Amino acid sequence: MWRRAGATSVAVAHWLSQLESALPAGVLSTDPADLAEYGRDWTRVFTPNPTAIALPRTTAEVSTLLAIAQELAIPVVPSGGRTGLAGGAVARERELVISLSRMRAMGPVDALGGTVRVEAGAVTLAVHQHCEPHGLVWPVDFASKGSSQVGGNIATNAGGVRVIRYGLTRNWVLGLEVVVPGGAVLEIGGALEKNNTGIDLRQLFIGSEGTLGIITGATLKLAKLPQAPRVMLFAVADLAGVLALFREARSAPFSLGAYEFFTRQCMARLLSHRALRDPFSTPASHYVLVEVEGGADETALLEWVESVFERGLAQDGVMAQHAREAASLWELREGISESLSATGLPHKNDIALPVAGLEAFCAEMEEVFAARYPGWEIALFGHIGDGNLHVNVMKPETMTREEFFTRTHELDTHMFALVQRHRGSISAEHGIGLLKRDFLGFTRAPAEIAMMRAIKAAIDPKAIMNPGKIWEA
Amino acid sequence: MKILVSLKRVADPDNANKIKVTPQKIETTGLEFKPNPFDEYAVETALRLTENAANTKQRLGEVTVVTFGPKEAESTLRAALATGADKAIRVDATDDALDGDLVARALAKLIETEKPDLVLLGKQEVEGDANQVAQLLAEYLGWPQATFAGSIKSEGDTALLVGREIDGGTMNLRVTLPAVVSVDLRIVAPRSVQSVHTKADHAYPEGVRFAALMAIMAAKKKSLTEVKLTDLTGDVGLKIKYTGFEPPPARKAGVKVKSVSELVEKLKTEAKVL
Repeated sequence: MWRRAGATSVAVAHWLSQLESALPAGVLSTDPADLAEYGRDWTRVFTPNPTAIALPRTTAEVSTLLAIAQELAIPVVPSGGRTGLAGGAVARERELVISLSRMRAMGPVDALGGTVRVEAGAVTLAVHQHCEPHGLVWPVDFASKGSSQVGGNIATNAGGVRVIRYGLTRNWVLGLEVVVPGGAVLEIGGALEKNNTGIDLRQLFIGSEGTLGIITGATLKLAKLPQAPRVMLFAVADLAGVLALFREARSAPFSLGAYEFFTRQCMARLLSHRALRDPFSTPASHYVLVEVEGGADETALLEWVESVFERGLAQDGVMAQHAREAASLWELREGISESLSATGLPHKNDIALPVAGLEAFCAEMEEVFAARYPGWEIALFGHIGDGNLHVNVMKPETMTREEFFTRTHELDTHMFALVQRHRGSISAEHGIGLLKRDFLGFTRAPAEIAMMRAIKAAIDPKAIMNPGKIWEA
Repeated sequence: MKILVSLKRVADPDNANKIKVTPQKIETTGLEFKPNPFDEYAVETALRLTENAANTKQRLGEVTVVTFGPKEAESTLRAALATGADKAIRVDATDDALDGDLVARALAKLIETEKPDLVLLGKQEVEGDANQVAQLLAEYLGWPQATFAGSIKSEGDTALLVGREIDGGTMNLRVTLPAVVSVDLRIVAPRSVQSVHTKADHAYPEGVRFAALMAIMAAKKKSLTEVKLTDLTGDVGLKIKYTGFEPPPARKAGVKVKSVSELVEKLKTEAKVL
């Protein structure tokens, strides 16, 4: 296997000369700063080591790149905003990184059809801003929206804070333009809501983590921009309290836009990292952010809130009085991931469980931690509304990085066995990438994995697309 | 201590691309509003002066919030009530029929009946940036004034020690009550306000407080009265006349330069800043 040994420098020189002669000047970069930057994502576990970075401007250039890559068997890592947390965009074995950053054009918004055509490099927030004047939104929304790109969102079927209301990215993609190994350009779907004409190839590429081809453009489905929501933050005693309040919120006389929770550990690290304000005078064990869709009956909402307190379901609570305050409550939730990385070394797990089984799972998970990792700091947060927990284990001060990674790898085996027993997923929205590939079998059966690999072989026979991601190359 | 706070709603700066301007007026329908930030600081200051920080649920004194505005402005008052103010008064008026002088005269009249020990205001509102009401009000009332307060130490019901933000430093003023004080940004720093009720070393979180959910419920039951502007002053004439409205000039698109020397050249010849 060439990959094990790493490509020889003779081979790499040949790749570069072939690529350079086929592409306009300025597409390829071997600048060490670019190599370091484009070779990694938000996981900081792997050392980047790409051969070169390609920054194509057109789909034709992407096609040329994948034609040559196929011919010379150059391993390719597709690259978007690189905000992923599973190592899916990491290039560590002399791969060619193809970044879509320069392909960020956005077409006119079709307000009647509720669609917009964009290039894959368009930044999520830019898409939001592009659609807002038309009263529309692409309802894919998460903390890294200022960097993440449409192509990456689609390739990872990104989740985020609106899933409880709108579902995953998959639901908001009507058409795709994809370049596959060999350079063929596929136009899949289009601006059609209905298109029952055989196997839906579009869905194969959504969530494929760059292992099948490169998404260069997409027709996005848009939703009506919701009215200004009401945002509340509650303090509750424990995880059971988070779930009890969720049950109440689910049956309340309003629609939930988001139901997020985080623990005191998250809040403490957040406040030590950023100049944010703790809305409560005394620290709580668990915090719940509830967003209620705009247009809800104010009186009914407040009566619900009153009943929550009367029955002791929350210890304290605040409500944003205007958009700025709502944004600052959201900052508490959205700043967590960054704050954990800035104040320590987190080992991240992103697991999903059937909502009904969350409580039992968490109780057992706490037992695992108490028995095997006493004293370790666990920063827990997530999207309770869709059964998604982000379990962040912080490296103890006195432990080396290496020992920590060894211990967490072993910890994951215990935790994922628990996830499997509770019929959950070892990766809810982050994907498998490099980080979770050893554990894929905890969620997917051998027959499923074999079928996935057969599809991969049919589209990418030389296995040049993102090798080593999802499963070992 | 009885404190009266004047507050005003302003168009949220996040509205930026929604504002429509005609030569006759600025169209305000459909805009989002928020309290003028300096007025929010004034409310926070009033709350800090009338509580023991160890038990913010109990108000040791009385805070009345007043606004001049249409019916919709009541939500701004309700929000202030939800953060802890005791009662609210809305003087029915629209922005185009108001100026700083009229507001100051009407407030002076209202203060005759409300009889607060202290009037707190934001140093200015962020739309007109006129910075007049506090000064005019003190003059009409014949009360001492301390503007641009960055710190306030209460000395009981008789006097306040006010640290004023001035060029190059702080001016400390002792004002006897009743008085008019306008507040500046730093008044909401953790130790800027010292009431006689709170332990001297207490540090508040930076900024203004959120409305507690339980208080939002309670705020629905607090008194909110409406007063007619003409009941406060017979003379509703304005000293400020608006002659026209226009949006700020659109910003020109930037240019990309290829090198540092080209940048320096442009800074010299085009921007003329070097």
